[in-house]
Amino acid sequence: MNGFSPQSHLLLVILTPLIGAVVAWLLGSRGLSAVRQSAAVTSLATLFLAGWLVLRYLGDGAAAAGIPYARVEVPWLTGGLFDVRLALGLDGLSLWMFALSALLSVTAVFVSWEAVTERAVGFYSLLLVLEAAMLGVFAARDVLLFYVFFEFTLVPLFFLIGIWGHEERRKAAVKFFVYTLAGSLLTFLGLLAIVLWNTSQTGTVTFDIESLTDATLAHPLPLAAEMAIFLALLAGFAVKVPIVPLHTWLPLAHVEAPTGGSVDLAGVLLKIGIYGFLRFSMPMLPEATAIAAPWLFALGVVGILYGALVALVQTDLKRLVAYSSVSHMGYVVMGLFALTPVAVEGANLQLVNHGLASAGLFAIVGMLYERFHTRSIANLGGVATKAPWLAVFFLLFTFSSIGLPGLNGFVGEFMILAGSFQRAWSGVSPAWQTFYLTLSLLAVVGVVLGAWYMLQAVQRVFFGPSREPPRGAGHGHAAGHGHGHSHGHGQGLADPADRCDIRWHEVMALAPLAVFVLWIGLAPSTFLAPVAPAVRATTDAAAGAFAARMAVAPATDIVSEPSASPPLAAAP
Amino acid sequence: MTSLQTFALLSPEIVLVAAALVAFLGGAFAGIRHGWLVALIGILAALSLVGGQPGDGATVTSGGIRIDAFSTFVRWAVLGTGALLALVQSGDIFASAVSRGPGLHRGGTCEEAGTFLVMLAGLSLVGVAGDLVLLFIGLELVSIPTYVLLALKRTDARGQEAALKYFFLSLIASAVFLYGAATLYGIAGTTSLQGIATAIQSPAPVSSGMATVLLPVALGMTVVGAAFRLAAVPMHFYAPDVYEGTSPGNAAVLSTLPKLAGVVMLGRLLALGISAESETAGVGPAAVAHLDLFWQLTAVLAAVTMTVGNVMALWQNNLRRLLACSSIAHAGYLLVGIAVAAAAAATQAGQPLGDVAASDGRWTLALGGMTATLFYLATYMLPTAGIFGAIAYLGHRWPEWTATSGPRPPREEITSVGDLDGLASTNPVAAFAIALFVLSLAGIPPLPGFWGKLTLTVSALEVDWTSPVALGSRRTWFLSLAVILVLNAAIAAAYYLRIIAAMYFKSTKRGVQADGGLAGGLAMLACVALVILITIQPRSLLAAATRAGKTLTSPVPLATADLDTIPRP
Repeated sequence: MNGFSPQSHLLLVILTPLIGAVVAWLLGSRGLSAVRQSAAVTSLATLFLAGWLVLRYLGDGAAAAGIPYARVEVPWLTGGLFDVRLALGLDGLSLWMFALSALLSVTAVFVSWEAVTERAVGFYSLLLVLEAAMLGVFAARDVLLFYVFFEFTLVPLFFLIGIWGHEERRKAAVKFFVYTLAGSLLTFLGLLAIVLWNTSQTGTVTFDIESLTDATLAHPLPLAAEMAIFLALLAGFAVKVPIVPLHTWLPLAHVEAPTGGSVDLAGVLLKIGIYGFLRFSMPMLPEATAIAAPWLFALGVVGILYGALVALVQTDLKRLVAYSSVSHMGYVVMGLFALTPVAVEGANLQLVNHGLASAGLFAIVGMLYERFHTRSIANLGGVATKAPWLAVFFLLFTFSSIGLPGLNGFVGEFMILAGSFQRAWSGVSPAWQTFYLTLSLLAVVGVVLGAWYMLQAVQRVFFGPSREPPRGAGHGHAAGHGHGHSHGHGQGLADPADRCDIRWHEVMALAPLAVFVLWIGLAPSTFLAPVAPAVRATTDAAAGAFAARMAVAPATDIVSEPSASPPLAAAP
Repeated sequence: MTSLQTFALLSPEIVLVAAALVAFLGGAFAGIRHGWLVALIGILAALSLVGGQPGDGATVTSGGIRIDAFSTFVRWAVLGTGALLALVQSGDIFASAVSRGPGLHRGGTCEEAGTFLVMLAGLSLVGVAGDLVLLFIGLELVSIPTYVLLALKRTDARGQEAALKYFFLSLIASAVFLYGAATLYGIAGTTSLQGIATAIQSPAPVSSGMATVLLPVALGMTVVGAAFRLAAVPMHFYAPDVYEGTSPGNAAVLSTLPKLAGVVMLGRLLALGISAESETAGVGPAAVAHLDLFWQLTAVLAAVTMTVGNVMALWQNNLRRLLACSSIAHAGYLLVGIAVAAAAAATQAGQPLGDVAASDGRWTLALGGMTATLFYLATYMLPTAGIFGAIAYLGHRWPEWTATSGPRPPREEITSVGDLDGLASTNPVAAFAIALFVLSLAGIPPLPGFWGKLTLTVSALEVDWTSPVALGSRRTWFLSLAVILVLNAAIAAAYYLRIIAAMYFKSTKRGVQADGGLAGGLAMLACVALVILITIQPRSLLAAATRAGKTLTSPVPLATADLDTIPRP
């Protein structure tokens, strides 16, 4: 193993999908099966390599010390005015998201196995390029490189939605792209401002994330600037998560995206926003985070309730799952800005949990659509008798999503809620205590609502009388655009006894997710312990600032809170 | 002897004019068919001559000519873009237009090639002009061939409208610029830019008093003259009509080369307020007033121009009108860098020079606005030339037609965004190229347009970085300008994506003709290669832009002309 350094290992993980994309492109003339087989091999190889890298990370003592593992540095735009490097590396914050990207890409390839038959070359190539970009976002150790990967995830997904999506795909693709771009450009301005601040304080021009984090701790920004930069960063990250008033692109993009795209979008891309908060906002702008934390906490709870209530009235199964994403990302936001160690660690774990569950749910919705050509809850019924194994998987991911004890979702949600209540009872004035207590209780109500809408959907779709989608309902949608369906499976619907259960590639797509759903649920410490030091280190500054504010501030009047801040800022 | 040296310095322009004469006369009397081949050879010869001249650091002046890193950058940009545009214009370069049918009149003739060469010579002259008269002659040498080029394509009513509209507006712009130039002469009593700079910067009360009164007039008028070349507000409204009415090749020329002239004009004007010798401390109040006025004017124009351009582009369906609006928006981005350069120079002029030197290297990336503008200009011109190359190459499409619906209708020229529908399946290479160019113009990382916007944003954020944010301060102005810039980039994505959506997301039954000539396709592929090259390694282009920008806007000692080192042609 000595000959194979972690550095080259990491590079290999990111390059494999790119090479695979080229290979898939070259195999284009050999037909559909050659292309998708090559894509499957590539994604499995990437998963294997990424998993091996994670094992090496866990086995290496240096990783626990908070030093980025497998740090690669290649000069890119250096020597002149900028000092931009291709700097890559893994640490506790990025470890699981990096692995999840590789895992979900396998799912994305296998759920598209039958669904995408037209222009398959482009589809699988773009899916693999997207995988490389996602891996890159989490591995980037340079602000500019992070931004490059961050934006570059948009381009493949834009094409995936626009070409292989459903009826309103063009509108969805453009809205998704422009919405995200508008936010992330402001984020970009904020990141540049941090770089310039560092330059003005230390005299060196660097885009390196570690150096910037250290420098902003050593030389805190003036509070007004910190707030402005925090808001600029928030613009991009909040759109990405999405935090509630900025969520309108998400249901459209999810519903119109092809299943493979939905899996990546829900599973990984939404998490980049949270990852951005953890990576940039919290460690670099602790004071501003502390000021904004209660508001974002409240927005998180608003998101939970809003997402749940809207999901409750959906008639389209995919829209329902999309709104459940809004609701569940609300928990993550809430946990993140509770700023207690338990809640933040829970939020970090919940990122992975939601990635697994929502990817699984979207995948199964896609499989149902392939079979019955409808996503309407009213037109589906008794699917469990026709496809029992699909029902089993759907139930598993549903239980994970609503937080059944023993599965992964329970661990994350429990930690987030426990941490939030902890926040209410630790070191805050009575007014804030009421604030946090009320919101945390409302979040618990959200758990109940979540169980309600998910189980209601399960009951209507999978159980009850076997219902046949009206002829033409699904086909009407499908006609007129190049979306491939496996029509062969629709033939047997006339006979309810006819089984259309899970197929081998669907098992390949769902089984890995199910394994991790159970694994995280049964042994959460395996996943929590290795990343805990890094997560705590990154939130320490913000938590400290928050505690300092709460200890000193009268906090009787929430609205006057920001105005009381400038004298406090000088304290640390 | 001196005149010989001047000739040597001007050899690239002389070669261009000579090639133009060969094309004119050869086409008329010797029956040369390959006018554009002559043009290409001429441009390449001129390029090699530019390569032989001193450019790095040394400043050489002779007569009204000033050769420095800035003018060398401009010449490289003019000739490089010129070579690409010659390919775009020429249609099929080995077949003259005459030998093909009248319906296929896509390629150019010898007259067009010659006119184009004269235009390039004029632009190159603008780059090296160190004198107002020479600058104006250079500008006219750009304008007059443009009228001819536009008028040669006057095959329909819209073409005539385009030619006339451009003609009258250009005349007005030239006249306004001339008024401004005359006022500058009135201030200084000389037409030499160096002399005017000395007069403006002079602390003597008489000349500074004169300057304070007349400078706003001179600046306003010259900036309006430059705004016409840039297609910036308030002289922007001609662009959509003219681009729509003329050929893709001409539209490519109009959207790239005049912008270069505009940037050079603004750069030279800006440099009037910057002291040439770093040692002399006390610059007059007129110089500071000049710079302050300059950045205020250009910053406002920048914000308005990019917003107007982008919002106008949102509603366009015609491909060339859309690109015209996008070129207006890009003129706005270019102005950001110029405003930054002026504001940064004003900062330096406003405080004792020793102070600046101490803090300069420490607290900024020292990325001058002019550097950003020049770099951005290059990253804008390449994809733009590429898109027009692709449109010229594609030429026509067959309309939708089935055997039962009657006789086959004639082919249609590619005009609207809808004409690109389904191009990804009918011509994947062209679709990929256009998508790449469009994404670069939209500023998606890591394409060149992203590096350009990055340099512009950083330069804007850097203005007065240490001073507090206060209402009306320079820092607040430029922070807002940076925010306006990125929001505009997001608006722009909406219409750029429409082009990609048409090519990739829609299907078509209309075959693509690709009859515009292989040379356009060649230009397109060359642009793809260059775009990818800059994506991977933007360093060398940025270094060249830095040298050029620094020469213009930072106090550099004027090197005495060492003319013996210049190679003779």
